[in-house]
Amino acid sequence: MKKIININFQGRVIPIEEPAYDILKQYVESLRNYFANEEGRDEIINDIESRIAELFDGRLKKGSACITDADVNAVIDSIGRPADLEQAENDLAAANASANSGNNNSSNQQQSYTTAEEPRRWYRSENDKVLGGVCGGLANYLKIDPAVVRILFAIITLGGFGTGILLYIIFWIVLPSRALASNSRKRLYRNPDDKVIGGVASGVAAYFHIDTWIPRLIFALPLIFGGITSIFNNAWFDFNPGPVFITGGFGGTLFITYIVLWIVLPEAVTATEKLEMRGEKVDLESISKTVKEDLEHLKARAEKFGGEVKEKAQEFGSAAKEKTQSFASEAAPIARRTGTGFGHAVGVLFKAFFLFIAGIIAFALLMALMGILFGGIAGGVSIIPFKGYLLDGFWQNVFLWGTLILFLAVPVIALLVWLVRRIMGIRSKNHYLGYVFGTLWTLGWVSVICLVGGVSRNFKTRSGVESTITINQPIKEKMIVDVASSNVRYYGSDWYGIDWDHKNMPFYGINEDTLMLNTVRVNITKSKDNDYHIYQMQFSRGNNPEEAKALAQKINFTPILKDSVLTLPKGFAITRNEKFRNQQVLIVVEVPVGKKIAITKAVEDYEWFSINVNNRRGWNMQWDENWDNSYRWDAGVEYIMTPDGLERLDKLDLNELKNGKFKLKIKEDGVDIEAEGEFKNKDEQYQYRYKQLEDSIKDKVKEKLREEMRVKDSLEREKKIKQVTQKNSGNEDPESIDEPVSASGLFSPVTFLSKF
Amino acid sequence: MNIENTQSQMRKGILEFCILSIIRRGEAYPSDIVEEMKAANLNILEGTLYPLLTRLKNADMLTYRWVESNSGPPRKYFSLTEKGLAFYRELEATWNELANAVNTLASKKEQLSGSGGTTDNQPTINQ
Repeated sequence: MKKIININFQGRVIPIEEPAYDILKQYVESLRNYFANEEGRDEIINDIESRIAELFDGRLKKGSACITDADVNAVIDSIGRPADLEQAENDLAAANASANSGNNNSSNQQQSYTTAEEPRRWYRSENDKVLGGVCGGLANYLKIDPAVVRILFAIITLGGFGTGILLYIIFWIVLPSRALASNSRKRLYRNPDDKVIGGVASGVAAYFHIDTWIPRLIFALPLIFGGITSIFNNAWFDFNPGPVFITGGFGGTLFITYIVLWIVLPEAVTATEKLEMRGEKVDLESISKTVKEDLEHLKARAEKFGGEVKEKAQEFGSAAKEKTQSFASEAAPIARRTGTGFGHAVGVLFKAFFLFIAGIIAFALLMALMGILFGGIAGGVSIIPFKGYLLDGFWQNVFLWGTLILFLAVPVIALLVWLVRRIMGIRSKNHYLGYVFGTLWTLGWVSVICLVGGVSRNFKTRSGVESTITINQPIKEKMIVDVASSNVRYYGSDWYGIDWDHKNMPFYGINEDTLMLNTVRVNITKSKDNDYHIYQMQFSRGNNPEEAKALAQKINFTPILKDSVLTLPKGFAITRNEKFRNQQVLIVVEVPVGKKIAITKAVEDYEWFSINVNNRRGWNMQWDENWDNSYRWDAGVEYIMTPDGLERLDKLDLNELKNGKFKLKIKEDGVDIEAEGEFKNKDEQYQYRYKQLEDSIKDKVKEKLREEMRVKDSLEREKKIKQVTQKNSGNEDPESIDEPVSASGLFSPVTFLSKF
Repeated sequence: MNIENTQSQMRKGILEFCILSIIRRGEAYPSDIVEEMKAANLNILEGTLYPLLTRLKNADMLTYRWVESNSGPPRKYFSLTEKGLAFYRELEATWNELANAVNTLASKKEQLSGSGGTTDNQPTINQ
């Protein structure tokens, strides 16, 4: 008892038994699968269905009540199962041979060729080759995937510096060539339907029956790792957008592997190959052969057909002589036909090369971009604790977040999304994601522009206030400028978990309500009278001069002069309300001629800033006229003010030096330094030469002299002791015994010269 | 085994040639083509024929029209286009040329190697 159902099959109502219907359905489905790669699949299926319906109709007209299993199977037999179709092909070939060749002699020949039992041996494969078919033949002989042989061969060639090529040529010459049928069901192909670069990853995935993204991810790993490390390097350490990922170790291996596979693996063009690629054998393979050739090649094939058959015919004719055929005569048609194979290899190498170059360029650009973005984010994040002092008002805060998230983070996220989608092979037709990212980034741009505009408006003008600090003149005729070790008890240096003790920051501390700035500069100039003077300038930027001036006035920086020591605070505090507007303090110390000044090393902790004299923006103050020519000084050195400017106390006595010539010869570490010059007072040449001397030899001279002085001091001391002990009298001046070097560290060029 | 590839290539060209030569004589219904080829001792399954016809049609070699049939829905009747005819002529010329060449070469071979080595294969042809 079987259930009968009525189906509408190609416009006909067919009563059919349910099991028969299932068979029919399965059959049509199998055909649909086999013709999957055929262009006119639907039409073919439609035609076949139509024909089946017609046959059923005929069956019913003959008196059957319904379509049974037997009927369906009969119809299927007449149409042909996928498995039958291969058989049909072979039969057809045989039939063709007998039907069309007319006289039987030639068919004998063909037949003998067909059925000849060949001993399995290593031939060159005629039909499965990249160059000469050596690898293909070996694979056939060993019954393994030709791709494996090719890969091994490629490795031998690459690793063995060309020995592989030599071997190949030898085998090419030695081995006879045969048309060999593929005996490996599953083969490694490149998949042209699903590829990013060469389709290697997706082919590998098809071979191992895994998802495409897995091999893709593996191949992309060095890229990703390289990218990440590079990003981190760029953002936080140093900028080095190099293709390290390609050149180094594991990454390099994968890269080369990919290139080798790209060259070695054939592309799965035909349906058979595509099925082989997936290892789908069953009987699909047979029908796929009928579907093999694509439509576009129909005409070309017909034209080629003649030539190909001719070639075959010639080969049949000379079958007996096959083994003695010379390599050269055979190479000609092979060369022509394998032009694609060799061309492919060269093409891939070129492609790989250009891809490599383009990849490096693209990667460098990408890394630069990522570096900027990540650096920007890092920088932006580091600004966050700072923003309370920098930003003014609600909107600037909004724009800061807009910049950070929309302008900097969105492209990074978009890039990552794109990469992941590319690797996972997700492709969507709609571009909503792109639009969303684009819109967000546009908003980010707006934020950047508004933020920069707003902040720079707040820094538009610079203004300052000047005050004179009244002091008692130091009694010792010497002033020491020092910085208070700590005049403020200060907490919160690790606010936000960041160590703010940065050398290159314009501030040395930050917490919730105070920003400690150390933009302080000390200038030394010549006093017009015989007194020390100290002036203090406070600068600030602001939206307008008034605001800037008000902010400058708010700076609380009070130097204290006690005895002869001028103690400067470590910095000055900016409260949250005052905002950071690049406040600066300039201390100008006027030193009278003949008096001394020393600045301790602690001053170097200040963040030096440029006074920016030349860019005053119309703002003119008295100070910059007067103190333009302030003198350079080094911390921790004692200076004396001379009519010509500030001079080091421990250096040459310029009053004498500048009147005469000097000649230096210093031997130091085996290197002779000779310098000769002439000092002319109030002359440009003097200035120049002096400066040159200062810059180039000063330090070495200084060091040398110090050392010698030390030696001499000790010698003198010894001599003094000797004198004291030997003569028991101190009437002789110790300094006249030896060369006249002053113990205080001052000495004249005369003595200096006499020493050499 | 190793001849398979060659055979399939030969057969494909020949198959198209045969189909075209049948259709050239007049409009043809696929099952009629199958019948005719069967009669000529050239078996072809409809499952092989339909894809071929579709391909030829898509390549503008063939065209079809729907012919009403008394037994149900209309049937597709195929006929040759101008292009198809030219294609057929080319194939025909190639075939004649080839048949001559193959026959000549094969018979020469026969003379050279003698028929002794091939006689045992003869029965398989006639199967």
